[in-house]
Amino acid sequence: MARASTRVVLRRLLGPLAGSAPSRVFLVGGLGMREAVRALRLRSELTVVDAPSAASIVIVAGVLPDQFSDPLALLHDGLPHPRAIIWWKPGTDGLALVERFPDVILVDGDELQLVASVVRVHRELFTGGRPSSPSVMADVGAAPWQGVGPYGQGGSGMTGGVPYGRPMAEVAPDRDGLRLDVLPVTVGPFFPPFPPGLRLDAKFAGDIVVDCAVPANPFTDVPHGAGRVRPGLDIFSRALFEPVPVAALELARARDHLTWLADALTAHGLPALGLRALRLAVHLRADDAPLVRRFIRSIEWTQVLQWSTRGVGRFGEDARESLRGCGPVARAAGLCDDVRSEDRAYEALGFAAIGQDAGDAAARWRQRLDEIAQSLDLAGRAGALQTELIGRVESPRGLLIAGSAPTRRLLPLIPGLINGVEWGDAVTSLVSLDLDLEEAALAERLPTTTAGAL
Amino acid sequence: MSPHLSPELAVLVVGIALAVGVYVVAVLDQAIGEQVGGARPRLQRVVLDPFRSSALLLIQQRRTTERTDAPGWLLAPALLMALAALALALVPLGPTEVAADPDTGFVIFAAAIAFVMIAVYLHGWSPNSVFPLHGAYRFGAQSLSSQMPFLLAMLATTLPAESLSIVDIVAAQESVWNVIRQPLGLPLYLIVGVAVSFWGPLNLPDAADLAGGTSAEDSGVARLMWKAARAAMLVAVAAMGATGFLGGWWGPWLPGAAWVILKTLALLILLVAAGHLLARVRIEGFVVVCWALLIPLALLNIFVSGAVLL
Repeated sequence: MARASTRVVLRRLLGPLAGSAPSRVFLVGGLGMREAVRALRLRSELTVVDAPSAASIVIVAGVLPDQFSDPLALLHDGLPHPRAIIWWKPGTDGLALVERFPDVILVDGDELQLVASVVRVHRELFTGGRPSSPSVMADVGAAPWQGVGPYGQGGSGMTGGVPYGRPMAEVAPDRDGLRLDVLPVTVGPFFPPFPPGLRLDAKFAGDIVVDCAVPANPFTDVPHGAGRVRPGLDIFSRALFEPVPVAALELARARDHLTWLADALTAHGLPALGLRALRLAVHLRADDAPLVRRFIRSIEWTQVLQWSTRGVGRFGEDARESLRGCGPVARAAGLCDDVRSEDRAYEALGFAAIGQDAGDAAARWRQRLDEIAQSLDLAGRAGALQTELIGRVESPRGLLIAGSAPTRRLLPLIPGLINGVEWGDAVTSLVSLDLDLEEAALAERLPTTTAGAL
Repeated sequence: MSPHLSPELAVLVVGIALAVGVYVVAVLDQAIGEQVGGARPRLQRVVLDPFRSSALLLIQQRRTTERTDAPGWLLAPALLMALAALALALVPLGPTEVAADPDTGFVIFAAAIAFVMIAVYLHGWSPNSVFPLHGAYRFGAQSLSSQMPFLLAMLATTLPAESLSIVDIVAAQESVWNVIRQPLGLPLYLIVGVAVSFWGPLNLPDAADLAGGTSAEDSGVARLMWKAARAAMLVAVAAMGATGFLGGWWGPWLPGAAWVILKTLALLILLVAAGHLLARVRIEGFVVVCWALLIPLALLNIFVSGAVLL
């Protein structure tokens, strides 16, 4: 009772001040909305946080697969009160999921309208004008302790198994020859450093990933046509079926790499520089090349290419052949693999694929930074040139053909890449791959003939 | 031990210094972050946001997780804040303006720094959650490696003073500051100082790759307390750096207290800017560098300083 009255007094005294603070939001990007959600980071009215416990509002954008229903409910219920959920452009196909949240606020307008809604909802939450969104899951453990065994773990021992739905730590040898507890943990599908939808079923021994599996891409389950193709991918999927301006294609590639850079810098503890990269990406033009070069030089100063990524996530010699068609990831591992070399329009521009040898995360960072400069150079010189190669296109992540995208080729390689490494290095490795589950799902839906696209 | 301020006044002065210091860190962090991020500088936001965010966190629910170590979770930020207060209490603003001047000031500072590991580990352990626990593991490795060069670098400053008293360490810098007398000292102190206060490139326990690490489950007043305690520890490290290496109260024209504040502010700007400009270090690489490079360099610093004095 005393605590409740203290809260009321605090709210009366501090509510207006708290209501004027930037809204702390956790972002969930659905189909077609990854870029739009990312752009919200630039809004000064919002502070994007990386844990639900730090947020007051969760913004879900676009269509989400049904499999995300429980993870989203858990995420929502993990926000401290007062809290709200705002769904931006839910579309008609995803409404079943939306309706699970009785107090959801729907916004169908543009970014300005969304931000205005967020600011209003935030102010109302902290001044008492709006009730906090109630929990949608029962406030009980998914697998309640049943009091069997000395620690209620459901058995006579201390380790192993999944008693009453709770995975218990088990003992297994570690890399130092000791026998340590191994703990199964699921990371994702809304873990901020990962692309939306990526889930990792990992086993940890201390902070080492000893085993992991990547479940199937959830976006492939979304009904065809439910999510619109997001603007950044649009030109690459069009280039499969029709000639497109080389300048526009290369500008889109440079923009995509810069947005990757924004996310990757944030994951490496440099959110302010990440925002600068995002600002460059959003307003990018072909004549911004000097500006971008200066920015890339400033990235060198951060040492991210040295102490954070060098030697991390290296593909062994045996895995390198599997990287064919994986764009910058393949080129960073010494494979000269770029379908732009087969396009006469690029030939006319004197295009030559660039590459690295090391095959580690630092090489992948270097590769994309070099490709940003290369793409801006090509965009500046391309004039009205149109692509000529139809049916295959080099997307920012690699060879895109109807039915297959680079992310799909990379997903099976993830366990081999991160098993046995410290979690920080595992995240560094995954971030450096620039995975895009949405692009992979889109490629699988694309018609395999030109006629089918028309 | 000869306290120069009454206990009540000392507590008040240290409390005010901590509160102002935490606010200054929040303002610097916001201002430098906006500058680096290419946003238009907005003075009003920079100045007011710490108050707004604090108000928000005071109202917000303090969430909990299943089967927590509730006392530990409450105690961790309080312990970290108390350690920062203890360190700050030893920093003299002038020959007599100091909250506490024990003969063993350096030893007390060393003890406070050693206990930071307990506070962070407790903070990661208590929520009974995966990422906070990972953050705690990391800080165990980080602090075991960083505390030795940190304290060895600081220990070298006691040689010219021939005393473990912090006031004596400053007094011995009247003619020449330790930053010149021991050129390795300040860089070593700052590198590992960032690690001890787990800030910027060495914010491994609360890193983005752990969704906030030890604070991943914090909300409301618990989050506010932890953020404040971290900032307070950074202030304490900067203030002790200014005292041990930059001559403390010594300086022309201005009063001694102003010099201590200005030098502390300069180090704070350096440390906060490093957080926005240097990428996160890998824990394994950091541990190797500490043991293979920084500890030998810190020992060399002590030997050379001792040899010069002989």
